[in-house]
Amino acid sequence: MEKTIIINIGNTIIHIEESAYELLKAYLNEVKQYFANHADDLEIVTDIENRIAELLTEQLEEQKKQVVDSANVNSVIAQMGKVQDFDTVEEGEEAPVINNNYQYQYTEKKLYRDMDDRVVAGVCAGIAHYVNADPKWIRLATLLISFAGGFGLLVYAILWIIMPKAKSRIERMEMKGEPANLQGFQKNLDEELQAVKERLGEVNKHAQPIFARLGNFIGEFFEWLGRFISGTGKVIFKIIAGFIVVFGVLFLIALIIGTAAFQGFWDASIYEYFPFSIINESNRGIILFGAFVVLFVPILALVLFSIRVAFNKQAINKTLSFALLIIWLAGVAITGYQAAKISSEFKQHAELTQTVDLKSFATYTLDIDKSKYFTKEDSIAYHIDANQKNQIVVDDLEDGPFISPNRIHIDINKSETGVTRLIHKYESQGKTFQSALQNAQNISYTYASKDSALVFSPRFQLRKGSIWRNQEVRLTLEVPVGTIVNIKEGVYRYTNYYGDCETVKGGDYSVWIMTEDGLKCVAQLKEEALNKKKLKEELLDLELQQKHNLTDTIYQDSVSNRIKEVKEELGIAPE
Amino acid sequence: MIAENTQTQMRKGILEYCVLSIISRGEIYASDIIAELRTAKLLVVEGTLYPLLTRLKNNGLLSYNWVESTSGPPRKYYTLTEDGRGILSQLDQTWQELAYAVGISQKGANS
Repeated sequence: MEKTIIINIGNTIIHIEESAYELLKAYLNEVKQYFANHADDLEIVTDIENRIAELLTEQLEEQKKQVVDSANVNSVIAQMGKVQDFDTVEEGEEAPVINNNYQYQYTEKKLYRDMDDRVVAGVCAGIAHYVNADPKWIRLATLLISFAGGFGLLVYAILWIIMPKAKSRIERMEMKGEPANLQGFQKNLDEELQAVKERLGEVNKHAQPIFARLGNFIGEFFEWLGRFISGTGKVIFKIIAGFIVVFGVLFLIALIIGTAAFQGFWDASIYEYFPFSIINESNRGIILFGAFVVLFVPILALVLFSIRVAFNKQAINKTLSFALLIIWLAGVAITGYQAAKISSEFKQHAELTQTVDLKSFATYTLDIDKSKYFTKEDSIAYHIDANQKNQIVVDDLEDGPFISPNRIHIDINKSETGVTRLIHKYESQGKTFQSALQNAQNISYTYASKDSALVFSPRFQLRKGSIWRNQEVRLTLEVPVGTIVNIKEGVYRYTNYYGDCETVKGGDYSVWIMTEDGLKCVAQLKEEALNKKKLKEELLDLELQQKHNLTDTIYQDSVSNRIKEVKEELGIAPE
Repeated sequence: MIAENTQTQMRKGILEYCVLSIISRGEIYASDIIAELRTAKLLVVEGTLYPLLTRLKNNGLLSYNWVESTSGPPRKYYTLTEDGRGILSQLDQTWQELAYAVGISQKGANS
């Protein structure tokens, strides 16, 4: 497809393709230039134009075409002869202007912005063409004077506004000082052909008001900014893509190794750690496969996509990527199904309660035994010599990312019957009530009762073969009213009883007493009693003052107000 | 180069004479002149003819009429003026002299 121009040549209307038009226009320009100083230039040129029109019309009729193309124009030019051939024949006293002469006219350079060789707006390149220098020196100079208080930038902006763009081919040739004749054109015929029409339109632009120019400038500036960002942005994207490729590949390798590890190639003990410990042994393989696919495929896709961005290379074809998608969906389905299956095992709740009566003491001490309880098997596994009594293994009680939530809660309540007892409540979830109960029964929890001291274990164990199903242990100590309970600091995290209660001086426990209203901090009770006593004294004092200073009304008011406040604090109802 | 130059000089002189001779045979259109010159292998490019015709016309040797054309714009048809005929007969004579001169120079006066 090509744009067509309608021209009037020798009073004939001819449709001509844009590229052909440029060629013809250049030829006629040459002819005109050639005969410019000829006395009868107009007549000769008209004759030639008429003849060209005739030839073109003939060709169109012959070839049954409607539009003149470059081939037609070329054959016409060949027939009419090039300007250089003219002077070999014609000679006279009115010698026509010779080639060199008119070429000189057109060799005169014009100042345009070079849009083909630009860094910002082509100003420097344009100047370079004009003064016949290497653009880089002009750019360097511009850069240098830019440091002189931004003066260069201002000059640049002004030149940007003033200098027109070299849009058409003729303008570009003028800018470079190439003769705008047929040779010039044919020399660059392979280059894009820009309509001379544009140049004609450009003539008006020179007369444009400065505002319109300024508008163009602003528009162009933002266009340049956009190009700059998209250009630089592209580079940044490529760098990011490169990083993604590198790290993605590393991640994929890690994933494969991790999967192999989970599969038990090196160490199957991973399943003893929390999030994996909730998986039933029989389902491990399938879940592992599902999870692997779910993670692997998107990262692989990301890496492939990044490769495409970074290297402009399609790393994978459509069929294969579609297959990957299917595999991924299958992985998601498997994992989702298994996850639903596992979560269904948390559906039912069961509790198991055991009650143990304790000997009555006036004071109890609650403590946590931080030394870890080992079964015989574990002792052997960890090389612990059971005979060496002094050896204590301390369990760090912190909950970590790979430790099953191990919930133990200790409550201390008032005993209604007057009997001291400890209630163990084991709770668990399960798919059915039975399995939940079974899971609860699999909790093994130990505590030691030595006289009045109750030493609790910080963790419960699950019997072999059972898995984490949100098991909990709730311990309730019931003591009669008046019983003193010393709570060691280690127990705080398992109870609600610490709050503001201060520990005993020089000790690591706080003292509590069982009242009708539940367990109270002894230190706090003492403080409260002291406070109450003080308030009562103040009240008596105030009431005395009220009696003796009846005359001073302002003073009376403040005293009676204070009395009200004190009474409120003491819980005495105002009269 | 010298040969070329001489050829050009010879052609130049003869071209004008030939054009006048062609036109002397009757009213004729520029492209028909070209066609004849081309048949005679005298003309290389058409562009050369138009300045020549214009010069001859301005010198009063030629005149032209606009003639309506069936296809396209009206055409210029050239005819010889009286001056032109006078010049042509002079040129005819000159040509015969030249032909004689050439013949003599080539074959020798005795043959």
